[in-house]
Amino acid sequence: MIEIVDLRKEFTLSKQQKKELNTSENIAIAVDGISFKCEPGKVFSLLGPNGAGKTTTLRILSTIFKPTSGSVTIAGIDAVKYPEEARKKIGFLTGSTGLYARLTPNELIEYFASLYGISKKETAQRKEKLYELLDMNDFQNKRIGKLSTGMKQKVSICRTMIHDPEVIIFDEPTSGLDVITAENIITLISDCKKEGKTVIFSSHIMSEVDLLCDDLAIVHKGKLLFNNTMEAFKNEMQTENLTSEFIRIVKENNINEFSI
Amino acid sequence: MIFNIFKKELKDTLRDKRTIMMMIVIPVLIFPVIMNLFVSVSHSFQKEAATKAIKIGVVGTKNDFFSTKLEQLPSFLGKKEILYYSDSSHLAKDLQKDSIQIGLLQQGSTEISKEIFNQLNVNVLYNATELGMKERAEEYIEYIEREEKSKRLDLLQIDEQKITPIKSTYTNIASSKEMIGKLAGGILPYIFIAFGFIGCMYPAIDLFTGEKERGTLETLLTTPVSRLKILIGKMGVVVLSGLLASLSALAGLYLSIEVFQLVEDPELLTVIHSILSPTFILVLFSLSLPLTIFFAGVMIPIAIYAKSFKEAQSIITPLNIVMVLPAMVGFFPGIELNTTTACIPVVNVVLATKDLIAGTVSPGLLILSFGVMLLLAGIAVLISYKRFDNETNVV
Repeated sequence: MIEIVDLRKEFTLSKQQKKELNTSENIAIAVDGISFKCEPGKVFSLLGPNGAGKTTTLRILSTIFKPTSGSVTIAGIDAVKYPEEARKKIGFLTGSTGLYARLTPNELIEYFASLYGISKKETAQRKEKLYELLDMNDFQNKRIGKLSTGMKQKVSICRTMIHDPEVIIFDEPTSGLDVITAENIITLISDCKKEGKTVIFSSHIMSEVDLLCDDLAIVHKGKLLFNNTMEAFKNEMQTENLTSEFIRIVKENNINEFSI
Repeated sequence: MIFNIFKKELKDTLRDKRTIMMMIVIPVLIFPVIMNLFVSVSHSFQKEAATKAIKIGVVGTKNDFFSTKLEQLPSFLGKKEILYYSDSSHLAKDLQKDSIQIGLLQQGSTEISKEIFNQLNVNVLYNATELGMKERAEEYIEYIEREEKSKRLDLLQIDEQKITPIKSTYTNIASSKEMIGKLAGGILPYIFIAFGFIGCMYPAIDLFTGEKERGTLETLLTTPVSRLKILIGKMGVVVLSGLLASLSALAGLYLSIEVFQLVEDPELLTVIHSILSPTFILVLFSLSLPLTIFFAGVMIPIAIYAKSFKEAQSIITPLNIVMVLPAMVGFFPGIELNTTTACIPVVNVVLATKDLIAGTVSPGLLILSFGVMLLLAGIAVLISYKRFDNETNVV
């Protein structure tokens, strides 16, 4: 379970940032009073144009960022007060996730398992299961730098799942991937849902959202524009398809700068 | 947990060819290459000096008093060839063209009369860019003068002792070890410090900016490990790399002396052996440890702040000069370790090492230097942590 209440995140702007953003404001509000709940066994999708605050929200959930105000609860743990405890429950994967090119998948997975405090025996068991599932046995001892994008993606998935997290956060996980490689992620999200895990993911691709999500939220410029079930979203649709409806909602809120 | 991070970062670093080059290969090779070059050049100079005859131009004839004496100079004063000129302008031209290396102009009378004890004026022309020529001319003239003076004293029946009120002798009380320590002792800590810095540089950039650039740091920060532990684990590898680079330079020195036998002078060799004792190396590393932590602590905040490998490199590379330049004070014999210099980072390590080599180190100043470096290392770690804990710097 993920629950965020009245989440706000401000960044202090440096002189250079003010110049770049062409603003005289001293702070930038990335997330402005967002609240939502993601339930176990369900996939929650966070939608929004570029710069909407999706990545900042997900980084707060994964405890990389501290919120300026508001509360974050991850699997029953106050993630603001006890970030290290909360991290034990989280698996985090982004589209821009990098891997250590000079290590082998085996070394990398064992390293992350050790960081999560998993015993060697348990690591070996989980590794065996995940390698089988992801078909990773053939390249487990090759240097990651020499692997294909698809293989690397599998290593990333394995790294995310090695500690069997209760909550999984995906930040545009299929961004930049071809259809075949992206399929691994889609399968992973479906499997997590089946296993009763709490899944939150941000995406630009409406077909993925349609395929996977149970609940969704639309954010823009840090504010929440919509938060309900996918079914409710579809029922309330005033346009022909999901993409058009998403654009309509954003436009209706008098916001013009977006792209999907 | 810190050890797990350290182990992984070390493995990753040791697989980076660039780091291995800067950390081990170049430092190991630097001493053998420099010493080999030095020995070869010095041998070739010695050989050249022994075989090459210098050409001396004299305005006058072969039968002049001074020319005769010049021709009679013993061979141990060096090979020479004497050319005679009728005028000084030709001689000056040849000196300009390096056809001759020394020009001697006799002014006034070219003869010395034993009866009237007259004085011969000799003007020595030389090119100051040709090293050693002035000294060679002085040596020749002094030899001739000494001989003639002795003859005159005999003629005058004067005991030389009676016209020499003071006879002075100079005794050097400094041991060879002390001489080497004070005069050349600055080179060892300089190289040690320079490689310590360079050794830290690539891992610092790679483990912080590199990770940020490659998108691996964000993932690492989502693990249940505190940022302080991640920082210490990574910093440990940066410091170890710096120390390894310094150690490799020391290994290179050992190879030069013991394996390649590039030091031929037995006296110098004995002194070097007595300098490079296990205690000296231990104290040197004890001083280098806080210094390397300080270096790492200076580099890491920059590496954390920088957005790309290139940006970090462009800031840290010039910093190399700022940090290593103070180490050059070791080359100046007059600067000593005192309470003021012991408080100046880098300078204190160099001067303390120099005193250690010379065997004249004061334990109090050594402890003060160590304490200052330890304090600075602590501050540097704290600044690094503040930077690393700043969320906008790490993703």
